[in-house]
Amino acid sequence: MEIGAIHSFLIHAGKNQENPHDINGTAVAKSGRLFDMLKRIFDNAEDECQHDISFVPDNDAEQRNECRDSFLAYLGTCDLPTGRQIAKRLQGVTTNKSGLGLLFLMVGEHKGVTKIVVSRFPADSGILAEEKAKGLSVEFLERIFMKSATSYKAAVYSGRSHDKDFWKGKAVDKQINSAESYISNYWIRDFLRSDFLTPGEAGTRRFAVAVRDAMNQTSESKVKEDIAALHHFVSGMPKKVVSAKDVLNQFHVSEGTQNEIKAKFHREALFDERFRFVPDEFLKHVAFKTVELDNGGLLTASTDRFDNVFKKDIVDQSHDIVKFSTQGKVVNQRFRKTKS
Amino acid sequence: MTTVADTYKERREKMLLPLAERLEAHLKSVFDGYPRIDRISVRAKSIERFVAKSEKQNDGKPKYDDPLNQIQDQLGARIVTFYKNDVEQLAEEVKKYFRYIESRQIVPDSEREFGYEGRHFILFLPRDVFDETVREEDSIPFFELQIKTLFQHAWSEAEHDLGYKPSAELSSEQKRRLAFTAAQAWGADQMFEELYKQTTHSA
Repeated sequence: MEIGAIHSFLIHAGKNQENPHDINGTAVAKSGRLFDMLKRIFDNAEDECQHDISFVPDNDAEQRNECRDSFLAYLGTCDLPTGRQIAKRLQGVTTNKSGLGLLFLMVGEHKGVTKIVVSRFPADSGILAEEKAKGLSVEFLERIFMKSATSYKAAVYSGRSHDKDFWKGKAVDKQINSAESYISNYWIRDFLRSDFLTPGEAGTRRFAVAVRDAMNQTSESKVKEDIAALHHFVSGMPKKVVSAKDVLNQFHVSEGTQNEIKAKFHREALFDERFRFVPDEFLKHVAFKTVELDNGGLLTASTDRFDNVFKKDIVDQSHDIVKFSTQGKVVNQRFRKTKS
Repeated sequence: MTTVADTYKERREKMLLPLAERLEAHLKSVFDGYPRIDRISVRAKSIERFVAKSEKQNDGKPKYDDPLNQIQDQLGARIVTFYKNDVEQLAEEVKKYFRYIESRQIVPDSEREFGYEGRHFILFLPRDVFDETVREEDSIPFFELQIKTLFQHAWSEAEHDLGYKPSAELSSEQKRRLAFTAAQAWGADQMFEELYKQTTHSA
């Protein structure tokens, strides 16, 4: 896809400031080394931006989002004044901690599909070393804008209809897993006024159901043990952005067990999709644990308390014989038609 | 020449009908165990009703210039529950599990009127319903979800049916009768809501 317009703006911190810095911007020439670099970013944006996001409505009753509106206005004119409105929006959410940044807006169109890429390069300082005929010259440089591996941010949207499309897109924010919420909220929530396309509860539910189904449907005792241990770790996991794949890798779950869980996802893309993990939602779907013994015994307790309720002793390791014991007052008894 | 009806017919068969089936299963799975849900259903809009909607006018001009992309209820889901209080509770749950671009309580324009009522959402289709046969990138992005009480559901079904009868517009007297039934449905919901609260609190 050919790029039709590129504009760039220098963004100073402006959040909660009465007299924010003026925003200087320029059109970027569509040739040269800078253009070549930006063209690579534009072309690879869908691969680089791994988080599926969607704009959230400004108020529930109206299908409007002010950030989306500013993008649509820019798509309509592709000029400096409308681009500056997007830059102003970014400045308005930029704190001193986020610091100086260089914003690029890039738009292209092919066969009726329009694409916009918005990216922010953070400012850094560095040293320029130049080899000369009679030695080396070194110089300190400020305001170097780098596609930083730790804080580069971008978003890409494409669509045909300015009226109905451009509600969902993809974003990258290398700081999204940061424990500091102002950093992780800065790009997606504050600037883009967006959120993950899959809500935290939905992503967590999908993961929990896959874990539960893998546990219930496998006949491999190793997989069951792995999943029981995984439950213990995941139950204590804080709210953070993860994918199912991230969680299983984080807790070093064996490849065999990973494959059993992955097979319970409808599509591989869902296994890789990132969402904000919600601990309570996870626990809701794996609330009770049952252990069945070969003597016909069934032991059930809430999953998070099972190991406290039933004490497990190994009787004969070579034959996997164990003894469970518990103590309490009988409060109820019931008949059931089936085991499950 | 391919008409809007032809294109929609093909879309309906190849995309909307399979998606409707999967979305219904997904909604039933998400809301499994929730109390007092009478039914959850999803339908692909009929060709006849899509065409009728696509031809609607606003001030003498077509309301939609690109109906295939602009009409957002090509897939319509409905959750029917017992009491009015359940509607809002379910709406909060919907917001947890689905991303929306619109969420509205639809009520008649004035306090003197009785008519259509319901909780409406325009939601992104969950990614769980797509596969290689119906790909996310080829799909419509949204579906409409309505949450209604049993009485709101019964009234809107009958009203919708009458509205699509070929025998032209309803007379003033007939509209009055329809408003009367809406008032009765509204009153029944109020009574059941009160009874539910009274019996729950006294239990």
